[in-house]
Amino acid sequence: MEPTRLIAELKQIVGVTGVVTDPDALMTYDADGCVMDTHAPHVVVLPTSTEQVSAIVRLAAQHDVPVVPRGAGTGLSGGATPMHGGIIIGTSRMSQILELDLPNGRVLVQPGVINWELTQYLTLSGYHFAPDPSSQKACTIGGNIANNSGGPHCLKYGVTTNHVLGVEMVLADGSVIWTGDGTPDCAGYDLTGVINGSEGTFGIVTATWLRLTRLPEAIRVVLALYPTIAGATSTVSQVIARGLLPAALEIMDRLAIKAVNTMYRLGMPDEAGALLIVEVDGVTDGLDELLNDIVAICWSNGALDVRPARTPAEQVRVWSARKNAFGAMGRLAPTYHLVDTVVPRTRLPKMMEEVAQIAQELNLPVANVFHAGDGNLHPIILFDRRDPDQNERALQAVNRMMLISIEQGGVISGEHGIGVEKQEFMPYLFNQDDLAAMAALHQGFDPEGRFNPGKIFPKTQNARDLAEQRHSMAFADRDVA
Amino acid sequence: MSHALLARQLSELVGEAHLREDPAACAPFALHHQVPALVVEPGSVEEVAQVVAAVAAEGMTVVPYGGGTRQAWGAPVASTNVVVVRTTRLNQVLIYEPDDLTISLQAGMTAAALNATLADNGQMFPLDVPLPHQSTIGGLLATAMDGPRRLGYGTSRDLLLGVQVVEASGRISKAGGMTVKNVSGYDLMKLYTGSLGTLAIIVAANFKLIPRPNAEASLLCSFATPEQAFQLIEGVRISQLTPMALEYVEGLTFAPFTNSTIQVALRTEGLSAAVERHLHELTARTAQAGGQAYPLHDEAHRQLWAQLNDLPQTATVADDELVIRLTTLPSQLALALTRARTTAHELGITLTVSARSLNGVAYLRARGNDEQLRTWHNRLYAHQPTTAVLGGPLHLRREMPAWGQPPTTVEVMRRIKHQFDPTNRLNPGRYVV
Repeated sequence: MEPTRLIAELKQIVGVTGVVTDPDALMTYDADGCVMDTHAPHVVVLPTSTEQVSAIVRLAAQHDVPVVPRGAGTGLSGGATPMHGGIIIGTSRMSQILELDLPNGRVLVQPGVINWELTQYLTLSGYHFAPDPSSQKACTIGGNIANNSGGPHCLKYGVTTNHVLGVEMVLADGSVIWTGDGTPDCAGYDLTGVINGSEGTFGIVTATWLRLTRLPEAIRVVLALYPTIAGATSTVSQVIARGLLPAALEIMDRLAIKAVNTMYRLGMPDEAGALLIVEVDGVTDGLDELLNDIVAICWSNGALDVRPARTPAEQVRVWSARKNAFGAMGRLAPTYHLVDTVVPRTRLPKMMEEVAQIAQELNLPVANVFHAGDGNLHPIILFDRRDPDQNERALQAVNRMMLISIEQGGVISGEHGIGVEKQEFMPYLFNQDDLAAMAALHQGFDPEGRFNPGKIFPKTQNARDLAEQRHSMAFADRDVA
Repeated sequence: MSHALLARQLSELVGEAHLREDPAACAPFALHHQVPALVVEPGSVEEVAQVVAAVAAEGMTVVPYGGGTRQAWGAPVASTNVVVVRTTRLNQVLIYEPDDLTISLQAGMTAAALNATLADNGQMFPLDVPLPHQSTIGGLLATAMDGPRRLGYGTSRDLLLGVQVVEASGRISKAGGMTVKNVSGYDLMKLYTGSLGTLAIIVAANFKLIPRPNAEASLLCSFATPEQAFQLIEGVRISQLTPMALEYVEGLTFAPFTNSTIQVALRTEGLSAAVERHLHELTARTAQAGGQAYPLHDEAHRQLWAQLNDLPQTATVADDELVIRLTTLPSQLALALTRARTTAHELGITLTVSARSLNGVAYLRARGNDEQLRTWHNRLYAHQPTTAVLGGPLHLRREMPAWGQPPTTVEVMRRIKHQFDPTNRLNPGRYVV
């Protein structure tokens, strides 16, 4: 690579203001929301169009430097951290909503559109984009696709992959493909499906057709407080057994309640050990009866207080406790590490015990906020990063939580991705053959490993080597000419 | 090695009772009239792996085979040395903890057996595949066959959480897990779903389940014209009603409407009050559109959907019949069907249609002579390059692109196929790559 020439050429593509080279500015791109591993890029480029992205990628190939796509940098697994330097392509200037097509329930957007902006844009249309990750006020659609993001409402509505109809992607040679436009069941492999959750390692998404979901006619929400988590989790099981999949089922534990209570003065009683939010939606008919049933189930499971919310204003207030939980953690400690694992739903109480045990043994406060309907835990480890001992104990806590999740039949990421945070845990979940099959798929898109290298696969095993090994072991003596 | 030697080797692997080598015994497994050399039924995942490795080592072709209900799909296998590998003995539930709302099962289990298992626990797998008593879960995934309730619950793409496969080399690998949310590694479930057995043989699958609703019922609506039917459909689309299926059917009659051939079948599920609301409001909307509505409950409701679910089947196709899948953006479906109908009338073709009317997917069955069918298909294809031919007379199908116009992304697909199956052992020639 010749840095001076590369930068001059990049400026020709996107203009002087679209290229960031100042060392101090580059430092702000050395990590995303996961600060465990940091590495600054050589240069950051901020294109506005697919053509510019394609030209940048071709240039990167000529200079043989890595390309790392980046949205808002809210990711929590180091997915946007340029581990090998190179070019970061930031999508912040690709933030246009290009076409709204309500008759076909779809919208065409650039990847830098912020999830919340899309939600606002759609407010009056009667439709919404269902994935609503907690970071939705900052995170981009491109980042949602890269991490297959979820959110509280994915219990009923599914995660990002269920709402992406097709993407435009720039591949490593600069070529541009479209994987779909919403015409269903087209022949060929489901490239849209495999691109979702590929963490920017296949190419860079430059536009996407998203599926829109009709807003429900009515919504009912119940907030219930319990002395312990057990009452909340048994309520969840009984609500589901009622024969209806709620739109959301969220639980917070004592420490998380304390954090939001202190910060937002929500007036929760001090003895509350668990907070449960149940949301149901659909046509109006029968929904109030269902709400009453849910309230009764809450009481029968030992709730201290049950607050049904029938109006949108009441519902916003009930949800504020949950939506502000992560922001309130700053009240409790200088640093927090948000863990993301998933277990089969019935293992949640066991996981809660294990998490409490780990917190106690390592003498670290851990708050819990989790998606109880789908088994997705978010233990929040509170510590002071400036203290090396606390840092070390926090890492240990993360490690133990990962391994226990796997032991309980779960997986190591529900919605944040593997990135660099969890790449060394992949071999605990998948054997060599499983990883090699993933590597084979990767080779179909990016054989040179141009995009976001050093992610997902363990550090000692990049996709190319894994795929080559796999091939030579299986097909060496009978490859066709 | 001759077939006989391979046959002996396979017989040792799976047992004599699970290998067919006599052409008469293999004849029921003919693929586009080609009788396979051998039919083998492994009894475990490990046996599938050993069988595939042994067949591949002989340079022969592997055709994965479940219930056989959709083996008519695709172009003929580009090989004369075919070994059919059946998954039907792999029919066990592996993990089922009802409160988790997930299940792990072997791919040879039939859709009907799966739903019978779930019914006892008040749960369901809401994908209504044609011929559920024969159709296996592996076949359902390999073909990505949809059902009318995709409107409410999506397709296998939305319900599949994890998968285990035997690769072309005979290696066993897995992806995903038993959780409804998962971004731990690439989503190979999406890759295998709909890949028509060209990348690997699916041997086990994990699914998300849905609690069985408290109430369900249907409304069968009959119209004088397709325009009236689509007036109702469009009204439902812009409403906040939530029918689980909205099937447009043409060319067939269902009791009690013995005179009309234009019908819409609506399926509603959920709270009793919500089901009542749907029946009530949709009856009124049907009348406004100029049609008549008839509610169906219990056994009549179940029978209607059993009939509707089977309409796109390709296990039995008449000698003068072509089965087509037409896909469009949802808003263009009515127009595409008008074209298909008008052309059919002009040519004297008998046409039946069953369409997931709000999804943009239609299954068409056309009957006529070769020349009529050829012309009809040409005109359809000219307007809808995604038109797929799923069944019909082989000599005609050879003239028609089985999967429509190749996707613009075919190069990436070729590279993926080469990575997974470099020697082209699995279902060569049948799919897009």
